[in-house]
Amino acid sequence: MSDRDRGAPADPNASTDPDTSADPVDVAEGRERRADDIIRRRQEERVRTAIKDELSKDDTGDERPRPEDPGPLRGALIELERVDLAFDRPILEDVSFAAFPGETLVIVGESGTGKSTTLKLILRLLQPDNGRVYVKGKDIAPLSFTEALDVRQQMGMVFQSAALFDSMTVFENVAYPLREHTDLSDDEIEARVKEKLEFVDLAPDEVIEKLPAELSGGMKKRVGIARGMANNAEIMLYDEPTSGLDPLTTGTITRLIMKLQRELNVTSIVVSHDIRSAFRMATHIALLADRTIRFFGTPEEMAASDDRYIRDFLGGF
Amino acid sequence: MRFIFARPFYGGDLVQQMDAIGVQSLGIVLLTGFFTGMVLALQSAVQLQTFGASMYMGRLVSASMIRELGPVLAGLMVAGRVGSGIAAQLGSMKVTEQIDALNTLGTDPIKKLVTPRVLASLIMLPTLTIINDFVGIVGGNLIAQFYLDVPTSLYWRTVWEQIASDGFLFRFIPNDFVQGLTKPLVFGAVISITACFFGLNTSGGTEGVGVSTTRTVVTSSILILVLDYFLTQLLLSLLVAP
Repeated sequence: MSDRDRGAPADPNASTDPDTSADPVDVAEGRERRADDIIRRRQEERVRTAIKDELSKDDTGDERPRPEDPGPLRGALIELERVDLAFDRPILEDVSFAAFPGETLVIVGESGTGKSTTLKLILRLLQPDNGRVYVKGKDIAPLSFTEALDVRQQMGMVFQSAALFDSMTVFENVAYPLREHTDLSDDEIEARVKEKLEFVDLAPDEVIEKLPAELSGGMKKRVGIARGMANNAEIMLYDEPTSGLDPLTTGTITRLIMKLQRELNVTSIVVSHDIRSAFRMATHIALLADRTIRFFGTPEEMAASDDRYIRDFLGGF
Repeated sequence: MRFIFARPFYGGDLVQQMDAIGVQSLGIVLLTGFFTGMVLALQSAVQLQTFGASMYMGRLVSASMIRELGPVLAGLMVAGRVGSGIAAQLGSMKVTEQIDALNTLGTDPIKKLVTPRVLASLIMLPTLTIINDFVGIVGGNLIAQFYLDVPTSLYWRTVWEQIASDGFLFRFIPNDFVQGLTKPLVFGAVISITACFFGLNTSGGTEGVGVSTTRTVVTSSILILVLDYFLTQLLLSLLVAP
């Protein structure tokens, strides 16, 4: 499977400006020109693709999938296919990427580029204006509200603020999805809660009766992860899991996400600003910029890229 | 209605909300009803004495409490105490992503959070109104007995005469009760739906929570007073015997 198939730009380096020795005075203008060039080139490419797609249509009524609607990628657990989304302004344009079982895909990008929105699309808390979102090969856009709730049960979500229910204890928080969606007995639920808390390196007996307000930021995040994986979710989504944490706790959370992948083969999609953590945990990185995927590839490919924007974004990392 | 009858049922949440909305509002409702009944009796005493109509104190207090003051005062108290609480709680849950968390955990926030609150309000507001009416009439009784020297037995007899004088629905439900219990049912729905609406649409962090809370109290209080007029007009035209 090539990166192009997975929705990456054809050549992440194609947008590289050869003139890297520009006068510093003209840097800002040059950057704007380059951005305009990139957008224009991308639009032209999209027009050419659309024309090509139109010409390749089979007029005899063959039921083959249309080139612009190729259907889900075989084996992909999560896939966004040419997704457009706008509120009062365009948020995402022609965004495509896929995550396969056991992978950790980290979505990075500047603030306000639609990273968290992407997670909401996967959870079907939002629906795309155009394009498809596939979960386990199934387009989730046409699902009813109740069917969408069923799809969400297959995923675990860890929020930036942990979003623990503050009126419930740690035990009740982690047990919540089990009580809500399973027929497990109280003893089985207690055993599962303790197992998950131990997995996230928390001592169950010490935290189980505590309220979220009594926990530190890192502990809240870990309880959030335990709650997300309580149902043995195959897919975990993380929104800024390390934001606001000290370097040591950041390392702990990063190791935890890697442990989930390594030991339980969980597929993770992580939205993060933290490049250091992203490079540690990611099997693939997607860079969102200018409302679309600017780069998709492995951390090594990203580090080796001589795209000016990517180099600026990495900031010498 | 769809949410009330659709599975799953959150019975525990309903009981918890009935406690928060009803039982915990009991103190404020008891105080309000008792003192309103006493003030009503005190203000009327002078006029009734002037016309030698002190014996009608029971009729005056019961009619005022059951038809108007009981439902409206209980509604306003609950709007201030419970409506603001619901809006603040749901608003905080919204801004701290707990509503999104419910969604992602496969729970419908309307069923989990809104339905129990609306149902609890529908059950508890009429209950609180009955209590409010009763303590208000008891308060009036105290003033009648110690200020106007009206015997308790006479006071309560006139209370019953008033209730019976307006006729009965289906021959056994006093029309005053129908009027006095229809209103809190509507007010309960208004308070809980308004509070849930503003709470779930909170944005802008903690400041937004404050805004939602204020809007809830103001909107539901105004709606209670306006709807009270229209409900009174409607119920009078439907219930009062020609």
